[in-house]
Amino acid sequence: MIQSVGRAARILKALGSESARLGVTELAERLGLAKATVYGLLRTLEAHQLVEQDLETGKYRLGPALLQLGNAFLDNNELRARSLLWAETLASRAREAVHVGVLYGPNVLLVHHVFRPDNSLQILQVGASIPWHACALGKAMVAYLEPDARAELLAGPLPRLTGRTVTGREALEAELAVAVARGVAVEDQEAIVGEAGIAAALFDNRGAVVGAIGLAGPVERLLPDGPVAETVSAVKEAARGLSRELGAGRPAMPGAGA
Amino acid sequence: MPAAVAVPWAGWSPRARREAARIVDAACVRLWLTEVAARLAAERDFLTQLDAAIGDADHGVNMHRGFTAVMARVGAVEEATGGQLLKLAGRTFVSTVGGAAGPLYGTAFLQAGEALGDAERFGPKLLLDAMRASLEGVQRVGAAAPGDKTMVDALTPALSAYELELRTGGSLETAVSGAREAAAEGMRATIPLQARKGRASYLGPRSVGHQDPGATSTTLMFAALEQAVLADRSQRFAGGARRRVSGP
Repeated sequence: MIQSVGRAARILKALGSESARLGVTELAERLGLAKATVYGLLRTLEAHQLVEQDLETGKYRLGPALLQLGNAFLDNNELRARSLLWAETLASRAREAVHVGVLYGPNVLLVHHVFRPDNSLQILQVGASIPWHACALGKAMVAYLEPDARAELLAGPLPRLTGRTVTGREALEAELAVAVARGVAVEDQEAIVGEAGIAAALFDNRGAVVGAIGLAGPVERLLPDGPVAETVSAVKEAARGLSRELGAGRPAMPGAGA
Repeated sequence: MPAAVAVPWAGWSPRARREAARIVDAACVRLWLTEVAARLAAERDFLTQLDAAIGDADHGVNMHRGFTAVMARVGAVEEATGGQLLKLAGRTFVSTVGGAAGPLYGTAFLQAGEALGDAERFGPKLLLDAMRASLEGVQRVGAAAPGDKTMVDALTPALSAYELELRTGGSLETAVSGAREAAAEGMRATIPLQARKGRASYLGPRSVGHQDPGATSTTLMFAALEQAVLADRSQRFAGGARRRVSGP
């Protein structure tokens, strides 16, 4: 490990962790480094526009180059690029918000988010990270993982996010089995009180799960009395179409039979 | 906050004072709900702005819409105890407010109403039981612990301060003032916290540096409670004084 690169990364994370701007002294204290060291690192990062200094206060904040890097990260994500059209179609069909996510450790990283098409004020959630067991996207993906990988996630910490989060290993295994049988995974206020989700897994040309696409919205609309058949088939169709585009053939697509 | 209303104790027998200090009735509960509604109308945009930073920018709108519906229903009911009014408020909230606020505040009001039962009048001790029931209900639904950056961070210290004040010889008035102060302190203490519950938790470290909207609306309710109790008390004393003057 290169020490200075590690330190620079810690500076960026510290600046990214809150809205307030940080001065050299604050950063030095927070990271346990000498002020001169922090100053040198900041000057280098500034030269690359990874941080910038507020001229009035002298404090530092994240720089514009990071936005370009973040966008490049999303653009290079093939799944996201290919999901744009399918996600848009699903959102307008179901009149609900659409999320596309990938597994990143024990969490689902949202790589794409289409707003609920009703002109209401909504906040972009791309980049959000949600524990896999508490959301439909996560359960849809984990249901199709190799047994070893699935067992590892089931054995990991399963934090309770609401009173309805399923945290028991056996109960979760049963839910994963239901998700495979149904072709979609359902979440009923398990991550956020009042919110539900319905999602299906996405597969590549080897039949391996590479992500998930699904609806997220108010529980009273998404699960009025359990999932509505029409909504479920809209999610499945979007997942099938997107998987085909990612190269999954019909026989290679475990979810295709449902 | 308006300054505490001066309470004219002079001329009251100890028994009358005890009685007056003990009583909360349906009129006081109505006063509280009215005060909450007025404050939510005034703070709607501020709450939404807080929510836009770490949530989905609907807390102010949701709370305001919910309480407008609550006031319409409560206003249509003439004969009801405080507990019945709170249960009505809870049911209205659950059915009209979306997002997390509906189930959480709805449960809080319902549980408080259940705890008060059908008592015509109640004292500070039963009010404590009602607050405790609210907190338990909120935690059952939301699974939040203190420090998770939620409404629990205002509710928990408010309840503790209220109880401490009562146990150390305070009155209902000083107890609700203590609760309001502690709620506000808990609310401000959410700013440096990283959210572990709710949509804000999706943001991870980016949730740091923002005040929690739920803790803010909870603090607003305690401020309204303080004002309602003080206003109700001053009315009661004014009425009592008149009775005294006209008596033998």
